[in-house]
Amino acid sequence: MAQAIHNWKADQKADLNQPEQKPHYISAFKALSGYIKLHRLGFIGVFLCSLIAIMSELLQPFLMKIAIDDNLLAGVNDYRGLLIICAIYLGLSVSSFAFTYLQNNLLQHIGQSIVARIRKQLFGHIMKQSMKYFDRMSSGSLITHVSSDTEALNQFFNQVLLSLFRDGLTLVFIIVMMFQLDGQLALYCMILLPIIFVIAIAFRSFMRTTYQLARTRLSRMVAFVAENLSGMNLVQVFHQQKEQEKQFNERNSSYFKANLREIRTNVLFGRTFDILSNLSIALVVWVGGNAVLDQSLAFGVLYAFITYIRQFFQPINTITQQWNTLQSATVAVSRIWAVFESKPEIVDRTDVVSADAAASSSASSASSAQPTKFDVDRAAARKGGPAEPEGRHSVKSAQGFLPEQVRGRIDFHEVSFAYEEGTPIIRQVDLHIRPGELIGVVGTTGAGKSSLISLLCRFYDVQEGSICIDGVDVRDIPQRSLHRIVGLVQQEPYLYSGSIIDNIRMFDESISREEVISACEFVGADHIIRKLAKGYDTMLSERGSGLSAGERQMISFARIIVFKPKILILDEASANLDSYTEQLIQNALYVVSQNRTTIVIAHRLSTIMQADRILVMSKGEIIEQGTHEQLLERGGQYRELYEHSQGHVAV
Amino acid sequence: MTSARILLDFFRKTWLVYLLSLLLHLVSNLINVYFPKVLGEFTDKLHVGELTRSLIVDYSLLLLAIGVGHVLFNGVAMYLIMHIGRRFEFLVRGRLFRHFTEMSERFYSRNGVGKLLSYFMNDVTAVRESISMGFNQSANAAMLLIAAMSMMFISGIPVYLIAASVLPLLLIPFIVVYLGPVIRKRSLEVQEALGRMTDTAEEQFGGIRVTKKFAVEDIMQQRFDQTVERIRRNQLRLVRVSSFFQALIPFLGTIALITALAFGGYLTIMGRITLGNFVALTLYVRMLMTPLQQIGNVINSIQRSRASLERLNDLLSQKSDIVESDHAKAVDLGKAEIRIDNLSFAYEDTSHQVLKQIDLNVKPGQTLGIIGRTGSGKTTLMKLLLRTYDPPPGTIHYDETDVRALTLESLRSQIAYVPQDGFLFSTTIRENIAFYKRDADLDRVESAARQAQIYDNIVELPSRFETRLGERGLTLSGGQRQRTSLARGLIKNAPIMILDDSVSAVDAVTEKEIIDSIQKERQGKTTIIIAHRISAIKHADHILVLDDGVIIQRGTHEELLRQDGLYADLHAIQEEGSQHGTSHS
Repeated sequence: MAQAIHNWKADQKADLNQPEQKPHYISAFKALSGYIKLHRLGFIGVFLCSLIAIMSELLQPFLMKIAIDDNLLAGVNDYRGLLIICAIYLGLSVSSFAFTYLQNNLLQHIGQSIVARIRKQLFGHIMKQSMKYFDRMSSGSLITHVSSDTEALNQFFNQVLLSLFRDGLTLVFIIVMMFQLDGQLALYCMILLPIIFVIAIAFRSFMRTTYQLARTRLSRMVAFVAENLSGMNLVQVFHQQKEQEKQFNERNSSYFKANLREIRTNVLFGRTFDILSNLSIALVVWVGGNAVLDQSLAFGVLYAFITYIRQFFQPINTITQQWNTLQSATVAVSRIWAVFESKPEIVDRTDVVSADAAASSSASSASSAQPTKFDVDRAAARKGGPAEPEGRHSVKSAQGFLPEQVRGRIDFHEVSFAYEEGTPIIRQVDLHIRPGELIGVVGTTGAGKSSLISLLCRFYDVQEGSICIDGVDVRDIPQRSLHRIVGLVQQEPYLYSGSIIDNIRMFDESISREEVISACEFVGADHIIRKLAKGYDTMLSERGSGLSAGERQMISFARIIVFKPKILILDEASANLDSYTEQLIQNALYVVSQNRTTIVIAHRLSTIMQADRILVMSKGEIIEQGTHEQLLERGGQYRELYEHSQGHVAV
Repeated sequence: MTSARILLDFFRKTWLVYLLSLLLHLVSNLINVYFPKVLGEFTDKLHVGELTRSLIVDYSLLLLAIGVGHVLFNGVAMYLIMHIGRRFEFLVRGRLFRHFTEMSERFYSRNGVGKLLSYFMNDVTAVRESISMGFNQSANAAMLLIAAMSMMFISGIPVYLIAASVLPLLLIPFIVVYLGPVIRKRSLEVQEALGRMTDTAEEQFGGIRVTKKFAVEDIMQQRFDQTVERIRRNQLRLVRVSSFFQALIPFLGTIALITALAFGGYLTIMGRITLGNFVALTLYVRMLMTPLQQIGNVINSIQRSRASLERLNDLLSQKSDIVESDHAKAVDLGKAEIRIDNLSFAYEDTSHQVLKQIDLNVKPGQTLGIIGRTGSGKTTLMKLLLRTYDPPPGTIHYDETDVRALTLESLRSQIAYVPQDGFLFSTTIRENIAFYKRDADLDRVESAARQAQIYDNIVELPSRFETRLGERGLTLSGGQRQRTSLARGLIKNAPIMILDDSVSAVDAVTEKEIIDSIQKERQGKTTIIIAHRISAIKHADHILVLDDGVIIQRGTHEELLRQDGLYADLHAIQEEGSQHGTSHS
């Protein structure tokens, strides 16, 4: 049902391309013990509740035994005694009812608290990782960790622990009661125990395989249908309905076959179990009946035994059902713990962390960067970068250097960088940008344009050289401050589900509505937004559907105005805009770049012809720079690019 | 009423199996109810001292036989129905898929993929559960009830005793019917909260750069935490009801037992019933608990699936609005002129016109370029040419034949269409390119790939043309997808080709190469190119400028440049670079 779609979606998200990491398995119990300890009292409560509930339940057949043996069968025929037994019986059932309820709720309460805690911690931990981590891990697998894996944990508490408490204790009690009633008969019954367990476990793991087979095939089929539904116009335009139907039928019937197999296994297993249960009852009647005949056993005991034997199978069945859940919980725990183990690669210098921590308290409240003091003394103490050409790199002794006072000078000092050892992306780039300058960067794909930007944002650390903002090494600036100083507008503007207002102020309630609106007026997005049915309160769904690419881009410009970074990086939106929107964006870009150091990565030359300086990058190096006119005159690669865009290719 | 049609068709074919299963259920339960009776007789024999060792063996074997017999018959009965339930699912899904392939684009624009998928999955499954598990459980429960009741009567247990003991149990179905939907609703709320958390996580991990860039991690964590808390709240809400329910059912069972014990015990003491009957009664009471609970479940599941069944029947009774006329004929489009006369079109009768009075002639072998802003009606025009929407009669002709009088096959197999989004299927690249004819030679696939400038990218992939795409496979970039989709159109080598903004995501240099290669390959064949960018259409024999559904300019590139108008403006913006804020439009 809905579960199947959910599973299918989960399967989609879990990127199966990645080699399935086989982390060393961690016992779910062990890993969770820290959390369990926090709720020690709660667990004791659960245990006591289960104990009382189960005792109340299991004493009931015992009462029947007393009623039969001591009263009815013995011919005492004491009706008052019988009524007392009934009253006790009622008391027991009420107590069983109440404590079962209590135990369930208590355990769930604890389990949910632990799972919620782990979820929050896990999310926080992932968010702290540096960009390299997100490059390495597909976002699909991260989502799986946060949702499916923690859900498996939830089931661990919901089902495994519950069943261990309830069914485990029940089983123990039944056995105790049986021995209490008659040791010999109980011993006979115990022979069954291992047999049942072995059969149950064997069947369960077999069922797991068939179940997974069915699930995989279902996934395949749903994926196929979903895809064909979204591409149906193509199927029809290419007149391929018959062919697609054929392919669908293949998937449908292979799922059907897997289903039949699943049913067969299910029925077979259930029936085997039932037969075993009947077999044991027959056994008890035979052995017990003989004992009764020998006067060595009272009939009431035999009656109670038969009831117990019937109850005996229930908990075993449930516990073995948990076997699979336990296995998936173990896998989930191992994966979650593996995530917890990874440490962010980019960290603030420990000596500036204190400043950062102080800042973070005010971070969420301040729209502009908070008054963090760069710990300049320590920054100065940092051993100098390998190259400090012309002494320009000398760290400014800027006592009271405040992010909002950043002027926006950027210096790349002989920067080299590679994502992987041996394949340098940036080679010895030396670049100095004046405050307020508008820089355009052009170059073919893979020239290193984006990497240059990622380094400035400190998504990655340089391997050689250094990058400074107003003379301070970016590695010495707390990331939080750095990220507020350097603003980035991405090629694909990213929108969150929420209102337009919230999207612009990034859910920061401390930024007023008026501030947002005036920012929109400033970039020229106001009239577009007002045209929408609910204006600024229009809810955007994921990925901002409902707005055109251009409108989304306008929102990301407004963000910049609201957050006022001193340095702006713009990864220019490519292609898919029509000319009108492009014009709007051009204007917005112009407005936004005022009073800011702006770096534009251009995909089309028209955007950057007015730049103060254009950099042409190739293979990780800056090969040309100058204004549009200068570069055209030079007749180098820029000129070639320009002519290409004009359509007359110089062969 | 067409409602319940699918089921009616199905039952007509399978009623024999249902009947058989019902009989088996009956047999199985008739056997089953002997169990307490035998145990009761055993007690009586013991009581009066007639029990012998051989009798004990007989009784044990009898009990075993009862157990095994019950289990076997029941197993077969269940298997039959489960099997048939899955068969139902299989058949209905097949029928749904065929129906999907027949429906037109209008249908798809009204129903999202998610909604259709939910018909396909949830509704089919809901109906299946009712007619399979639902049948099994209710048949089993009903037969057991009947058998157990009659057995108790036969054993001579007084009716009033039976009634008094069973009365509390009869509450069970009512409670299930009452609490079931509550539990279901709350559990859906849990699912929903879970889905929301997943969405939030997905959104956050996808936008990690933005979140980090604005240093709003704390706020985003708060947002996420809220979704987590919501799950917790909903889950606890669910547990409060569900655990109440789970504890209540056995409680009612014990109440019934206590009644049996007090009342039956009294009667036993009074000597009105035998001890054996008393024992049997208590066992019957236990036996009835589960089936009564199941009946409640079945009632709930039938309620749910009734709505599903109606939805499915509704869906299957919808007809596509694009139908081949009875006298449809196949026409060779090779030398066909495309003629559009005074075409106006609106998607809905009430909505505004997307195209207004379009007149157009495309001679065979010509290249037509269409340019215009987003929403100017370019794509709509193409949809009408392909008849994914019906144009008004008499407005679009291929030679002398109205597009509505053509067979869909002859129309669509002779037009190669390349959409903007570069939609590819999750199969190999080869199958994607050779989509119109899956078994096309590799040579042809390769040469189409070369024409679309995607060959070099493909041969760099691990399994070259056999590389699987999408879903679990590799993903291509937007430009690569577009070029693969272009290859898919080119390989058809069709008399008419339509490119709907098909090179928008490739860079300027590659675009130029592609246009050159299209010009070469499409020599002498009709080609229609839609674009945002002038560079993609300026070589066309004839260019249309569409604005708000109207052709506002037409001519060749040079002619249009000389005119004042949108075309020249666009050219100014796109090709020459513009001054900020100086250009209008």
